Amino acid sequence: MSILLDISKIDMVFPTPKGDFTALKEVDLKIKKGEFISLIGHSGCGKSTVLNVVAGLLQATKGGVLLNNKEVTEPGPERAVVFQNHSLLPWLTAYQNVELAVKQVFNRKMSKAEMQDWIEHNLRLVHMDHAMHKRPDEISGGMKQRVGIARALAMQPEVLLMDEPFGALDALTRAHMQDSLMEIQDELNNTVIMITHDVDEAVLLSDRIVMMTNGPAATVGEILDVKLERPRDRLSLAQDAEYNRLRSAVLTFLYEKQRKVENIPAQSSSKKTGETGDLQKVDNTNDVDVA
Amino acid sequence: MFKTIFKQPKHLYRKIMGQALVASLCLSSAMLANHSVAEELGYPEKEELKFGFIKLTDMAPIAIAYEKGYFEDEGLYVTIEAQANWKVLLDGVIDGRLDGAHMLAGQPIAATIGYGTKAEIITPFSMDLNGNGITVSNEIWKQMKGNIPKRPDGKPVHPIKADALKPVVEKYAEEGKPFNMGMVFPVSTHNYELRYWLAAGGIHPGFYAPHKGDTSGKIDAEALLSVTPPPQMPATLEAGTIYGYCVGEPWNQQAVFKGIGVPVVTDYEIWKDNPEKVFGITKSFAEKYPNTTIRLTRALIRAAKWLDENDNANRPEAVKILSQSNYVGADYDVIANSMTGTFEYEKGDKRAVPDFNVFFRYNATYPYYSDAIWYLTQMRRWGQISEDKPDSWYFDVAKKVYRPDIYMKAAKSLVDEKLMAATDFSDLTGEDGFRNPQTHFIDNIVYDGSKPNEYINKFSIGLKSGDKI
Amino acid sequence: MTTLIRKMMTADSDSTLLVKSLQFLSQRAKAVVLPMVGIAVFLVIWSFAANSIDTSLGKFPGPKAVATQIGNLYHEHQSEREKEAAFYQRQEERNAKRIAKDPGYQPKIRAYTGKETFLDQIGTSLVTVMSGFILAAVIAIPLGIAVGLSKTLNTAINPIIQVFKPVSPLAWLPLVTMVVSAVYVSPEPMFAKSFINSMITVTLCCLWPMVINTSVGVAAINQDWVNVSRVLRLPSLVHVQKIVLPASIPAIFTGMRLSLGIAWMVLIAAEMLAQNPGLGKFVWDEFQNGSSQSLSRIMTAVIVIGFIGFLLDRAMLQLQRLVSWDKESANR
Repeated sequence: MSILLDISKIDMVFPTPKGDFTALKEVDLKIKKGEFISLIGHSGCGKSTVLNVVAGLLQATKGGVLLNNKEVTEPGPERAVVFQNHSLLPWLTAYQNVELAVKQVFNRKMSKAEMQDWIEHNLRLVHMDHAMHKRPDEISGGMKQRVGIARALAMQPEVLLMDEPFGALDALTRAHMQDSLMEIQDELNNTVIMITHDVDEAVLLSDRIVMMTNGPAATVGEILDVKLERPRDRLSLAQDAEYNRLRSAVLTFLYEKQRKVENIPAQSSSKKTGETGDLQKVDNTNDVDVA
Repeated sequence: MFKTIFKQPKHLYRKIMGQALVASLCLSSAMLANHSVAEELGYPEKEELKFGFIKLTDMAPIAIAYEKGYFEDEGLYVTIEAQANWKVLLDGVIDGRLDGAHMLAGQPIAATIGYGTKAEIITPFSMDLNGNGITVSNEIWKQMKGNIPKRPDGKPVHPIKADALKPVVEKYAEEGKPFNMGMVFPVSTHNYELRYWLAAGGIHPGFYAPHKGDTSGKIDAEALLSVTPPPQMPATLEAGTIYGYCVGEPWNQQAVFKGIGVPVVTDYEIWKDNPEKVFGITKSFAEKYPNTTIRLTRALIRAAKWLDENDNANRPEAVKILSQSNYVGADYDVIANSMTGTFEYEKGDKRAVPDFNVFFRYNATYPYYSDAIWYLTQMRRWGQISEDKPDSWYFDVAKKVYRPDIYMKAAKSLVDEKLMAATDFSDLTGEDGFRNPQTHFIDNIVYDGSKPNEYINKFSIGLKSGDKI
Repeated sequence: MTTLIRKMMTADSDSTLLVKSLQFLSQRAKAVVLPMVGIAVFLVIWSFAANSIDTSLGKFPGPKAVATQIGNLYHEHQSEREKEAAFYQRQEERNAKRIAKDPGYQPKIRAYTGKETFLDQIGTSLVTVMSGFILAAVIAIPLGIAVGLSKTLNTAINPIIQVFKPVSPLAWLPLVTMVVSAVYVSPEPMFAKSFINSMITVTLCCLWPMVINTSVGVAAINQDWVNVSRVLRLPSLVHVQKIVLPASIPAIFTGMRLSLGIAWMVLIAAEMLAQNPGLGKFVWDEFQNGSSQSLSRIMTAVIVIGFIGFLLDRAMLQLQRLVSWDKESANR
């Protein structure tokens, strides 16, 4: 299958008062259509930066991103993003949040009725059709994230970018969401890049797991092919040898090869400033969940 | 409320109703219409007018002309608006915010000769005679009282002269305390009256020197005079900022009522039947709207007559009108004290002063040239006019500002239309605008308006011919 | 047996209902009774204090004097309205007469020339404050959005805003007055100059808090929402309309409430100072009148001014609750 997305040797340098800070160095990754890629690595290694460069929210200092052989220079709906904290617009209902995207993307391509069907279809896909006229502050965190996914899916993106989509959810809800995501993926077979801290999540969902080295000058460390049969079932996989091998391979990478050494007093970084958070080299060893 | 926001009335329905009424009346009256009146006074060119006033009882002719419908009789729709102080009022007339106003006699004169804001203001109507008083604080009165001769009943002999105040002023000077007094405006009657009274008692009220940029009027002063708006006089006296003031009514009587001061002398005693306020409009207004000018003069003449009619019989009603909050607004009793022929000096010392407020008698409404010239002589005396002027200059200025021609047209048409009797104006046939030499001044100096320079030279305190500061 | 149980159950639910309704009532009662007690205590203290303060215009007005004045002012208003009706009646008759004599005359109805009553002055002040406020909002909200969106513009304009913000609008008043009389010249002006002056003064004092709050609100928009908009490639105008404006509504309303409060205070002062029609002029005129009723009328005006200020704030709050998605911010 041909390469859909080509992340071609990108460097990311941020100017700081103390001189330039190289966040990414020669990150190189080729992704095929329909592939599900997880990006895993310690906090501050620049995962979000990679995602933001692909999304077009940040411009790489060197190198570039090609989507269907066209260079990415700005954000666009063909690279839909599911943000970590759902980022639904609180003054709009679930339906209206999706509608905003649909109206923008399918302007003049769909009739009003078609749009309505499409919005409702996507909300049904994430099991949110029962609460589609509720506002974000009236629904739970998991539900908000479902709406966020529905919004991204409704754009019919060529690549779906997910920045720790389930990071803020409790373990049970997270498992539920992962199952939902797999279901949807079975149906739609989207190309997905997902950032995660959760080793099990990465193994469960991905076709390939991209493990990143620690910053500064973070880059792709190892790439792990996950050749588990789909559909995958979390219960039966728990006994699966291949699954456990993959799992320990990721853990080995993270806790032996890329063990982080604490030398800078920890600073709190807000999730909001994800990309600049990378600058601060914040680390805590509990960052990676071993659920 | 809406007229304060929208200039144009929005009563469309009234317009429609009005036109219907008009149409029906048109038919009936067309047959009765009498076109015989020749040389009738034309309709007013400007019908909606706004007049300003300061909260003083001598604004009465304006209030009465409104309340008695005299303005409306002339087809004039007048809004009357209280002004914050004399400067705001004068500026209002100059910049056209006001069409006309109750003014200090000195204001049109000073504006015309360019003392202060230069503008051509005229007056076709003199509003009243007398009406002012000088009040001192209780503290000063205590110190003055001993210097005043007593009547057999123990009350002070009137008029009280400034001679009684002089030792007090000297005592304050020795103690190094400035003796501050209030008056209402640099070119106000009150300023000149207070100065006249002080100077007649040997107290120097200070010179002006506008050519040197000194308009405070405190050069060589023993008593320092400063400006305070009339309604604030009692409060300023009470606060101790000034020891006395000269102001129009009701602010002297107010001091008695509040128990914060004692009126010592009225301007009737300083100069019997002195001209006081005038009604001022711009010259361009009079030229642009001649009929309006005559008509508003007519309304004011009728109001003045009403005020003095039948030996002041209407005064209680007038007082009631003036005590409304939109006019003078002070208590009925306070206004009544001076308006109804009495004046209360020290608390309980109420004396009859039947001519304290004169609105129509003694040709009070006629704008005499000689009245204008008196103000000019005082301006010269205290240095507001810094250089000598020939007698002819005094006459020219007076003729520019005072307009008996308009007054006479108004009077004549009132008589023609039988709104007033010819006898109301009998003294004025062949009037040349100069009163006979006037003798009733507190210092007994005679004023002859036809000889201004000679008059100026009669004063012991004040600039004389050839003097310059 | 079952019926007994059922009875007991119903009795039980009845009693819980009773308890609940009692609780509800007592809460209600607290909400009503406590302010009542507060007001009653205030009235008692006020009347005692009033009784023991002597001014040269008589005793300081107590609650009773104010109550009497409210009655008086209302009657004055009514009698003025009667006079107004008579005025128009007379005018129509006069016009009719003139037409009869002078058929070419186009009859005109002139506005009533009588005095403004207390109620008129309230109306004038309210209209003035609302017009000035709305004008300020029309200018300040777009400007605030622009400043909040553009760092360049913010850097350019910020010093100006910071310098003008602390200036009392009353200091502007003389300048406003002079400029308005120089610039606003038309033979048949639609609005009175005094109204324009007061309105502009109100606008000037509303402007800065609104610009500042709006721009701060816009600048502090959640970056994720901005990213959503970028990913969707919303055109700038749609971005402002769909994202920026709703997102900064809470901040905009904070600015609006702040400035309406200031505007109401400033307007009264401006009216006193410039003798422009309105409640301020009413207070000043009464002070100048110095009659025995003046103080109680002023006190009445003070209470009415306070009450209207309170109502204005409540109205803004209700509006904010209606418009804003952030219900929390409306309670602050």
